[in-house]
Amino acid sequence: MTDKKPIIKADNFCFYYGTKIGVENISMEIYPKSVTAIIGPSGCGKSTFLRSINRINDLIGNTTNKGALLVKSHNVYDKNTNLANLRQQVGMVFQKANPFPKSIFDNVAYGPRLQGIKKRSDLQRIVEEKLKAAALWNEVKDDLTKSALALSGGQQQRLCIARALATNPDILLMDEPCSALDPIATGKIEDLIDKLQTDYTIVIVTHNMQQAARVSKRAAFFCLGNLIEYDTTSTIFSNPSKKQTEDYITGRFG
Amino acid sequence: MRFIIRHITDKIFTMLTVLSVIVLVAILAVILTPILWKGFSAVVFTGTIEFRKMQLDLFNRGDIDKLNEENARSQLCRKKVYDTINRFKQNIDAETLCDKTAQICRTFGKELQRKDMPGTEYQQLRSLSREIRDKLQIAFNSSDKKIVDENLKDVLKYKADIRFKDTSAAQLFAIAENFAADIKNIDLAKRQEYADALKEFENITVKLLGYNPSTPVPALKMDRYGATRLDLAQKNLNKLLWLEKWEQTSPGKPMVKISTPRAQLFAGTEIEPLFDYIRDNFDEMFIPKRTFYWQYLIDDSTPGHYFGGVGPEILGTLLLTLVSMVFVFPIGIISAAYLAECSSDNFIIKIIRMAINTLAGVPSIVFGLFGLAFFVLYLIPLFGGASKPCILTAALTLAVLTLPVMIRASEEAIRSVPQSYKEASLGLGAGKLRTFICVVLPAALPGILTGIILSISRVAGETAPILFTGAIAFGPTPKNAFDPTCTLSYSSYDIAVGDRLAALVPHNQYGMVATLITLIFCLNIAAIIMRAKISRKLKGH
Repeated sequence: MTDKKPIIKADNFCFYYGTKIGVENISMEIYPKSVTAIIGPSGCGKSTFLRSINRINDLIGNTTNKGALLVKSHNVYDKNTNLANLRQQVGMVFQKANPFPKSIFDNVAYGPRLQGIKKRSDLQRIVEEKLKAAALWNEVKDDLTKSALALSGGQQQRLCIARALATNPDILLMDEPCSALDPIATGKIEDLIDKLQTDYTIVIVTHNMQQAARVSKRAAFFCLGNLIEYDTTSTIFSNPSKKQTEDYITGRFG
Repeated sequence: MRFIIRHITDKIFTMLTVLSVIVLVAILAVILTPILWKGFSAVVFTGTIEFRKMQLDLFNRGDIDKLNEENARSQLCRKKVYDTINRFKQNIDAETLCDKTAQICRTFGKELQRKDMPGTEYQQLRSLSREIRDKLQIAFNSSDKKIVDENLKDVLKYKADIRFKDTSAAQLFAIAENFAADIKNIDLAKRQEYADALKEFENITVKLLGYNPSTPVPALKMDRYGATRLDLAQKNLNKLLWLEKWEQTSPGKPMVKISTPRAQLFAGTEIEPLFDYIRDNFDEMFIPKRTFYWQYLIDDSTPGHYFGGVGPEILGTLLLTLVSMVFVFPIGIISAAYLAECSSDNFIIKIIRMAINTLAGVPSIVFGLFGLAFFVLYLIPLFGGASKPCILTAALTLAVLTLPVMIRASEEAIRSVPQSYKEASLGLGAGKLRTFICVVLPAALPGILTGIILSISRVAGETAPILFTGAIAFGPTPKNAFDPTCTLSYSSYDIAVGDRLAALVPHNQYGMVATLITLIFCLNIAAIIMRAKISRKLKGH
């Protein structure tokens, strides 16, 4: 695994909301076609780091950053970064399923349409392919024109994954994708993540320790804006080198 | 114990809520029901033959043969009224009689000139005819029975004179004889009184029965027909039968209305029986019929809103509302988007927000004057148009008036779109504009439609802003946006301030107001249904 070239590389990356520290001095490398989990207590900066990767943090005004955050060797905070390109390469799935109030078809076709694909047959092919990739096709293939909001929570989240996949990203960022779902829906999403990692680089933020253990190859432990430990998941969970990590994992912390 | 108290307070609070809702509905019903009911009577009422005549003349509507038959019946009945009036008028009106006499005398003079006769005889006859004329005029103008009789006797002395035979002068004797016969029943001293009373009597008869067939057709359409509706006819009949006077019974007390029969004024004359005649033959004169006048909603109105319907007004109101919405919709949304999405809360934004809030509280007449000064007198000439009030300027003024409402409602709607929608769209690589148009705007549409509903209600009912900028009381249906137009609101205002017009056409006033209320109600319902449909679609049901 380590012999591969990292697809995301943070080098002393710092991010501040005004004067408040988001994350500080993060240095880590994330490898392609694998699942990397980021764990840590609330407010430790996991989401901030994740949301920095595709610069969705820009929505909040008055932020500053330092250091470098490279995606495919390009600094995302470079002045001439093409945001649209970046975000199409780095897809994102949010904590709460947020399908647009449109039909299922239109939801998945939103990204391809942005890329300028207009032909109905092309869109149909992409929608089918991505819905199959998100393991949702069999459930919705008969009513693609139905509103996405009529789906169940788990289906909605898988639809969001399909929507994110539709722009053909290399990286998929997942910000606690299962926190609002019941165990069965969570199980389906986890199976999906497992399947997707053969084609995509997945970075997942989770509060659920078992989930991190189940799905990820590597895990990073954040605390108070700092990266405490970053190693393979089995090492982190069975033989952590830092006391803080062990406390957190065994439940003596927070 | 505390639980019971809480339970009771809870119940009381619920009851108060229900009560306030009931009171609100009751107030609304108390205000609206009479207006709508009376407005309904502009469409369904008991119409008289005058109404059917008017419909045939002005709108070419109705069964001609049947109407002719009815008209013959009613004219037969009315003939007695007109004849009596004409005859009575002739004899009490000294001025007309004098004029007529003088006219005959002049004609006689001309006749004499044409005849071949010696100069002395000519002079003699001439002066004799003048003497007769003078004596007749004295008799006509005098109120002393003795003088009248004396003069008439003097005149009639010459009746047998062979020289006057077969000349126009013979008419003079006929008039004198008629006069002598008629004044036997009349108290000459009251002749002026009769003349005044008769004038009023005639005026009311014209309003009741229509113009006297022996006079020329009136120029104004409103004078050509009598009472078109049974309720108006009855009102006028009461006016005819009863003389109303306001009298102060004692100093410091309010005036009291005293009704006396008008017939008393004409006691002993041939007019007196007419009152009973008109009352007894009321149905025969008017032939009232239940009428369903749905064309009220499409007919043109005659000047003064006297007859006809509110067709142009409805069209004008709809047009004005539509055109102003064309301006309000994009400008309102763009402003709201700027306030909600693009701006941070800095000083300028605070000023803008304050300006919008202040604008919402400016009296509408101020907007009207602004519209006149800016749109009509400045902006239209600036683009080379003729500076006159028109639909465009009125719609622009209304748009300015209602923009604050629209902006505030839209801003709220845009702000309430979940941040997650925006994140999702931006996360897929969409730009800000794309996100706004494709995701935020559709999601905010129900809220924006609420703003539209409020705007429509405001725009359709406003009068003051369009007073100087594009409304007219009467006119043809507008052909393009550069024509002025009638509107329901302005027309009902026009009736209200018109000279006693509201008392003459109350049904039309109510009809307009009821139509306006119904129109706004329908527009609102349409918008609400649209909003519900969009909401349902957004929620995915």
